[in-house]
Amino acid sequence: MRILFLTNLYPPLLLGGYERACANIARGMVERGHEVRVLTTWSHLPLPADNPAWVHRDLDLHWYIPHKSSNSTVDIRDLHSAVCSSYANTLHLLNSLRGFRPDVVYVWNLTGIGGAAILDLLNQVRVPWALHLMDRVPVDIAVNTPPAVLGLFNGQGSALYGRARILSMSQHLLDEIEALCGIAFPQGVELVPGWADVSGALPHQPYLRDGKARFVTAGSVAEHKGIDLILQACARLKAEGLAFTVDVFGDGELPRYMDKAKALQVDDHVRFLGLRSQAELVRLYAGYDAFLFPTWEREPFGFAPVEAAGCCTPPIMTRNCGASERLVDDVHCIKIERTADELIDAMGRVAAHRVDLARIGRAGQRLVTTDLSFARCLDRIEAALRAHAHPWQHALADDPTLPLLAFLKHNLSVRLRFL
Amino acid sequence: MHSPLRVAHVTPAYFSPDSVVGGGERYVYYLAQSLRVAGGFEQCVFAVGAEDKRFEHDGIPVRVLRNESPLPGAMDAFSTALWRELPSFDLVHVHQSLTVFGAYTIAIVRSLGIPVVGTDLGGGENELMLSRGGMELLDGVLSISRYAHNLIAKFFSGRHEILIGPVDTDRFVPAAGVVRNHCTVLCVSRIMPHKGIDRVVAALPPGLRLVVVGQVYHDPYYELLRRMAEGKDVRFIHDADDTTLLVLFQSAGLFVQASTAQDVYGNTVAKPELMGLTTLEAMACGLPVAVSDTGSLPELVADPRFGRVFSGQTDLSAILSEVSEGTWPGPDAGAHARAHVVEKHGMETIGRRLAAFYRLVSARQGQPG
Repeated sequence: MRILFLTNLYPPLLLGGYERACANIARGMVERGHEVRVLTTWSHLPLPADNPAWVHRDLDLHWYIPHKSSNSTVDIRDLHSAVCSSYANTLHLLNSLRGFRPDVVYVWNLTGIGGAAILDLLNQVRVPWALHLMDRVPVDIAVNTPPAVLGLFNGQGSALYGRARILSMSQHLLDEIEALCGIAFPQGVELVPGWADVSGALPHQPYLRDGKARFVTAGSVAEHKGIDLILQACARLKAEGLAFTVDVFGDGELPRYMDKAKALQVDDHVRFLGLRSQAELVRLYAGYDAFLFPTWEREPFGFAPVEAAGCCTPPIMTRNCGASERLVDDVHCIKIERTADELIDAMGRVAAHRVDLARIGRAGQRLVTTDLSFARCLDRIEAALRAHAHPWQHALADDPTLPLLAFLKHNLSVRLRFL
Repeated sequence: MHSPLRVAHVTPAYFSPDSVVGGGERYVYYLAQSLRVAGGFEQCVFAVGAEDKRFEHDGIPVRVLRNESPLPGAMDAFSTALWRELPSFDLVHVHQSLTVFGAYTIAIVRSLGIPVVGTDLGGGENELMLSRGGMELLDGVLSISRYAHNLIAKFFSGRHEILIGPVDTDRFVPAAGVVRNHCTVLCVSRIMPHKGIDRVVAALPPGLRLVVVGQVYHDPYYELLRRMAEGKDVRFIHDADDTTLLVLFQSAGLFVQASTAQDVYGNTVAKPELMGLTTLEAMACGLPVAVSDTGSLPELVADPRFGRVFSGQTDLSAILSEVSEGTWPGPDAGAHARAHVVEKHGMETIGRRLAAFYRLVSARQGQPG
């Protein structure tokens, strides 16, 4: 297949699992012999030496910019370009459709590149396209664009997505999208969970070595990932005299949380160790007893706890986050309500040998190396794309008036946005 | 046997006190009627209004869609419901195509891949549609006069047709047995400065009576007209219904349309008189006409036997003097006027040419390149 990936961010520029997953799947498809092109945004970071030639960084990015303007009009203009229409990006997509002639367009996160206009163009030229949901992309478009403007792109209700093959990493995410903006996908959805490649994992070390519990977490160091809850729990457990440590891997609000750890007097138990590659983390998990994941309820899935589970390190995770659809409580993980009390209770039970960590660790590893393996998920994605790809009329993309139509829509959208 | 071509007329407003009572709105109904006369088409008129509703107008289904525009103007109205209402049509005719309404609607129709024809009825001069190239998205342009076509010709390179009319020549007919008052000059228009009624009042000679029919849209101008009319035989009628108007057409001696590109206050009017439908209706009733050389008006008057064109006050005074003296128009002027309208601008003629144009556009759109 000729697959055109469309994504807002691509390594080395990334925010989290969504972009990393896109890159992994693109590379996986290349390794399976598919002809791949990735259309994404610029990177101001140095590109790796092995940066593939099939990654085209032509798009402009109107979001995730380090500084925000103090001028609200500028902010709204950026938001419009980010979620609704960026004319230059729409043209770049059109050029890719004309030049690459994909069998299928595989759409990932659109925030920042003018999603409504981009999806509208895909619908107009009737190219088969699939949308992989790992976050609430349709909500970002719908709630940040006035209805009259959305109407230019047939973006009312679910119409924009009617021709797409939808893949979602959780039902939880689909429910959230429907609840927040009423968009449903009556054509059906392929649920493809988050996956892990734990082929580099080391044999797990004995649990609770020397009578000490070693906890770990990895990801964005931010409130929504539950870092505050973890620090609160540490303070209580330290006061109770428990022997434990928590290692925090990842980037984010490090200074704030390092200060908070000091203020709570847990900096002797909690270490902030910065970013690590996935491969490094997979090797490191073997030395930990449990993975802390008290993330917000709207977490679409969460790759990190799956990776930890695949390394026999049981996750302690929010009961109703996306990954909880795949991991069973007390079988593959320990589920908690997202409160400090429940987190403290779960960490306390682990430290007190009241959880059979080895049994849960083995079950988690079995699940991840079968159902949630990268190869298995890639199989499912490949099959979904193949089933959806079909010959389409290239003449529709070659219509010389398409740039004019996109121009008209873009400028009307701006006119109607800024009355 | 070909299946009928399904045509949607889309217009920002519809002819009704609930919407807009204007020539542009009336024109859409007339055009649909002419196409019905031609046969071979299924039609629906889509308009935008305060709320959704359906009704029929002389057998043509009308579907009013709720206005979703945040902009206040009637020509800025639009409805996203067109995405679901239009896909079953073979061709869409967007009226008032040079407005926000037109641009929005054309964007939808083109996205749906339906052939689209546009017509400027004078409602706007949207930059996106003109200098920014939006008109090139149209598969065809129908202009309501040569003058209207010339205004947009440089912005559009595709198929075009010029159709002046149609006029309902079954309704607008001479009255049998009614003797015309050749001393009565009739003006029918909204009372606004660019209609140039002041020029008629100023030129009115003794012995002629002027009847001005129309609602007041500009009070100072109306006051000016009243002052100018002092000492002359001028009557204003503001509440004439269709029947009254028809009787006036059938009984007056001359119809004058004196529109101007620069009004009495010195203001310039961008697109005066894209098509003088009222003038054609008067002619259909057998009424000779005198029109200014403004906009499309000279195109309506092809033969001096039933119509004259004036370029200024002196010309108009001379024409009215001839009328007063009985040297013009001649006794057959009314018959010539009606015959001309029936042949060139009647429902049958316009319907036939419109049908041919629609078929041409819809067939061509399906071809590559």
